[in-house]
Amino acid sequence: MSIGASINARELTKSYGGGAGAFHALGPIDLDIKPGEFVSLIGPSGCGKSTTMLLVAGLEPPSTGSIAIDGKALTQPITEVGIVFQDHLLLEFRTAMKNVLLQQEIRGLDRAESLERAEHLFARLGLVGAENRYPWQLSGGMRQRVSIARALVHNPSMLLMDEPFGALDAISRTQIRHDLEMLWLETRKTVLFITHSIDEAIGLSDRVFVMSRSPGRIVDEIRIDLPRPRPAHLGEYPDFAAYTKRIYSVFEKLGVYKFD
Amino acid sequence: MTDQIATVPTPNALAARLVRAGWLWTIVNSVLSIVIFLALWEALIRLFDVPVWLVPKPSDFLGRFLVDYPEILRNALATSVTLAVGFALGIVIAVPLALLMVSVAAFERGLYPIIVFLNIMPKTVIGPILIIWFGVSPMVSVLVVFLMCFFPILVDSMLGFRAVDPRLQYITRSMGATPWQAFRYVRLPASMGHIFAGLRIGIVKAVEGVIIAEFIGSSQGLGFMIMRASSFMNMELLFCGLVAVAVVALIFNALLATSERIMMPWVRPR
Repeated sequence: MSIGASINARELTKSYGGGAGAFHALGPIDLDIKPGEFVSLIGPSGCGKSTTMLLVAGLEPPSTGSIAIDGKALTQPITEVGIVFQDHLLLEFRTAMKNVLLQQEIRGLDRAESLERAEHLFARLGLVGAENRYPWQLSGGMRQRVSIARALVHNPSMLLMDEPFGALDAISRTQIRHDLEMLWLETRKTVLFITHSIDEAIGLSDRVFVMSRSPGRIVDEIRIDLPRPRPAHLGEYPDFAAYTKRIYSVFEKLGVYKFD
Repeated sequence: MTDQIATVPTPNALAARLVRAGWLWTIVNSVLSIVIFLALWEALIRLFDVPVWLVPKPSDFLGRFLVDYPEILRNALATSVTLAVGFALGIVIAVPLALLMVSVAAFERGLYPIIVFLNIMPKTVIGPILIIWFGVSPMVSVLVVFLMCFFPILVDSMLGFRAVDPRLQYITRSMGATPWQAFRYVRLPASMGHIFAGLRIGIVKAVEGVIIAEFIGSSQGLGFMIMRASSFMNMELLFCGLVAVAVVALIFNALLATSERIMMPWVRPR
């Protein structure tokens, strides 16, 4: 399946613990993401962004509310998905290529076909030459690229990314942001992208959801109408300044920023 | 773009080069120090005219290897078999038990106090009990070896199974992995470094155990041979036994190191 999946969440909440000590981490939030859409969640630390991603992946059950993927109610972890975390979470005992092909081995996919897809992804992500290297032989940026290849090699309908570029330096981030956008334009998977970075959110997304802190709620929704592919220096669009200003002002209203 | 491949040689080539250079140097180095050590020993004994029954010269007991090699070899073989069986038993029981204890909290709560108690107890005190149960037989030595290596393997394996990043479970579950696949593809290889660390300590303990067990409850093996040589004041054979024990220990260590390299080819060369 290469067409993106739709994500519809209703009245989603998540609390940890029970009784008087319960911590209300998230919601209620509604989330409607169209097939093939690139959506970012942006918000301060501890606003439940990562929790939202785990709920959408079916890896954690919501406390209340429901999620439907492609109209089907979510009851167990979805497998039509690729996940990328802030840490690359590559297996140190597998080479870059073998890390990516773990998907093929566990899912029992056709070897030759997966290898072809993996090689294509390596080419698109600038990983040629890294196939037989172990993670410790790769730079941080390369590792994260391998991690992205692993999330895409089985051609899922959905890509979930939790601050995937958070641990990278600014220059690597800009490049990898562009490479991800180009890959996305090629396949149009549904992407839920979680980030702290306003630039990243605007640079990549069709829509940006701004979240407030505990309990996490969606307080603003911004449609980003910038042409694609977007350039490294987003500042050349006047609209970019407007979008940025809007997110900053929401953050200021929420008390995320206190500037006197 | 800073995102270039780090300029390191491929792992296999690098490891091979290091191993080749390292091996050669290690061999030359150890042969040299042993020769100097033996020469010094020989010279001192000759200089002070120490009698053979007190401390034999290397020339006295090294010659015995040529004369008595069938007996020494037979006993060394017996010791090696005991060691291998006891050590294998230790791995086969300790590693799965470690997984069970890490996975099921009730097992850990129930078993850990008993294991700590058994671990702190000197394992050799079990020897006399085992002799009553099994008589003077290789079984006694095998069980002592097992007990000696069991705890380090168990403790380090538990550490290894625990050290696996829990978020990797998210990744494997989203791949639709069965629990067996998650174990086989992720958890077991990820724990291998710790398990081998336990095995390295375990083998040292196992060699200690096998000799002591053969001292007290065996009619074969190097420990038995040394004990008998001692009661006959056969100093040359005694020292031969000592060297033979060291050689057996070295071989087992080398086997372990080799299997580690084969089973964990991904490890960064040190």
